Amino acid sequence: MNFSLIEAHNLSKIFKTFERKEGVWGGIQNLFVRQYRDLKAVDAISFSIDQGEMVGYIGANGAGKSTTIKMLTGILVPTSGTIEVGGYVPFRDRNSYTRTIGVVFGQRTQLWWDIAAVESFQLLKKIYNVSDKDYQERIETFDQVLNLKPLLHTPVRKLSLGQRMRCDLAASLLHNPKILFLDEPTIGLDVVAKENIRQFLRRINQELKVTVLLTTHDLSDIEELCRRIMIIDKGKLLFDGALAELRERLACKSQVLLELKEPGDVDPAALGLNSDIEFNWMKCGASLFSIKRRCPQPS
Amino acid sequence: MTTALAPYLAFARIAFLQILAYRLRYFTGIITYLVNVTVYYFIWKAIYSGNQVIQGFSFSQMITYVAVGWIIRTFYYNNIDREIANDIQQGHIAGKLTRPVSYQWMHISQAVGESLFRLLMFTVPTGAVILLIYPVQAPGSLLSFGAFLLSLLFAFIIFAAINFLIGTCAVYLQSILGLIRAKYFLIEILSGLVIPINFFPDLLVRWSQWLPFQHISYTPLMIYMGKVGGKQLASVLLVECAWALALLLAGKWFWRLARLKLIVHGG
Repeated sequence: MNFSLIEAHNLSKIFKTFERKEGVWGGIQNLFVRQYRDLKAVDAISFSIDQGEMVGYIGANGAGKSTTIKMLTGILVPTSGTIEVGGYVPFRDRNSYTRTIGVVFGQRTQLWWDIAAVESFQLLKKIYNVSDKDYQERIETFDQVLNLKPLLHTPVRKLSLGQRMRCDLAASLLHNPKILFLDEPTIGLDVVAKENIRQFLRRINQELKVTVLLTTHDLSDIEELCRRIMIIDKGKLLFDGALAELRERLACKSQVLLELKEPGDVDPAALGLNSDIEFNWMKCGASLFSIKRRCPQPS
Repeated sequence: MTTALAPYLAFARIAFLQILAYRLRYFTGIITYLVNVTVYYFIWKAIYSGNQVIQGFSFSQMITYVAVGWIIRTFYYNNIDREIANDIQQGHIAGKLTRPVSYQWMHISQAVGESLFRLLMFTVPTGAVILLIYPVQAPGSLLSFGAFLLSLLFAFIIFAAINFLIGTCAVYLQSILGLIRAKYFLIEILSGLVIPINFFPDLLVRWSQWLPFQHISYTPLMIYMGKVGGKQLASVLLVECAWALALLLAGKWFWRLARLKLIVHGG
């Protein structure tokens, strides 16, 4: 039986940024008059995620992925809209809510930098009140896939990025959370390390039934892990559905990525492309994203 | 109760371990503090030439005041404000807020760990060197010494709580380097570290009684020297305790307010 674990409704986050004027005179003006501009990082998005799902959340840099994750994890307060995760309102119930989730930020470690990783693990064990028995069992389980034990007694700053990420992942799961939020868990990793991480995520999703929401720039992460994908651009949710559905809709057996100097139309003929190819355009920042598709005859 | 406290003991422990990695920094600190005491020794020596007693302080009492003042500073000092500013500017705040612990008490616990480290690796050697070189008087009495230790605990909390309040300003101001520097000098003066509070002009002495700063240095030192006793001792300790609690509560409310405005940088 599925029931929805994460519910977001009309979720928005607006940041006020103040526009700095250039130059010396502008700098002086800035001191007295400040013009604020609203930046909609996340713009009225709604979605729900069921227990046990593994969902990929993608979008360009600055599209609003991380802001969404930070609202879902109770770090940021939504400007408007509602979130409920497992019966908690993340921001309001932060103290009890964070006991039920695990969070990994690929860009920065949550382990103490200058001391052995095992010290951070011990701290987390205390924070989440994990029993000795559970702690040992979980370390054993994680060790099987992540080959954790050789890393535990090295200062974190001496670990490679891939090793560090393995430790960070294990650390986020020590308290057996129901949900795991991963913000770019494979960023900067080599192919082997990526595969290692993916294998681990697949296992915790299938065996431990942990619900996973991950953001990534690497489409192969999604292909290998997630049945469902959400695409966000400029704060708006563009697509939410099965990866297969996205493929179907775009029917992209092959695709061409065109980056134009300025947005505009492209004449397929001028590009020397056959007329049996239909174009779907997807905007992606200032450049255009073109998907070529071989057009089946409509039946 | 013990399980509620366990995470914070663990934070104190990990801060202790983390600082071990930087222990060299504290060895240079011993020299800095020794130089400070030496400078004030000669300044006061010049001031006392021809005077037996100023404002109720004999020269040897003054040297005791200065020396013990710097020795206890090695213990209560922390950089919570800088750490919070760093959390916010570098975006580390995100990860820290995903833990089911109070952000304020996390920082204060880490400061406890740091202060325990400082006590062993900084206060003890600095104290030993200073006591060897300068004629520092023993505490007024055993009671004075006990009350002094209690007062020192409150001083630590007041110092930490003020730093937490200053650090929280980083949510609004982003860069608080100027604020931190201003606070640093304000506390050096108004805590009575540099000059005993009763040397100040009358107006400032009266104002100072309504401020928390003098309880960081002046109050513990006056207790140590046995200049506060009897009923006065109890009431002074009570006021100090009240300030510690009030500043902790203020920090808690301010942080709750600031979190609504929090922006996380990077990533």
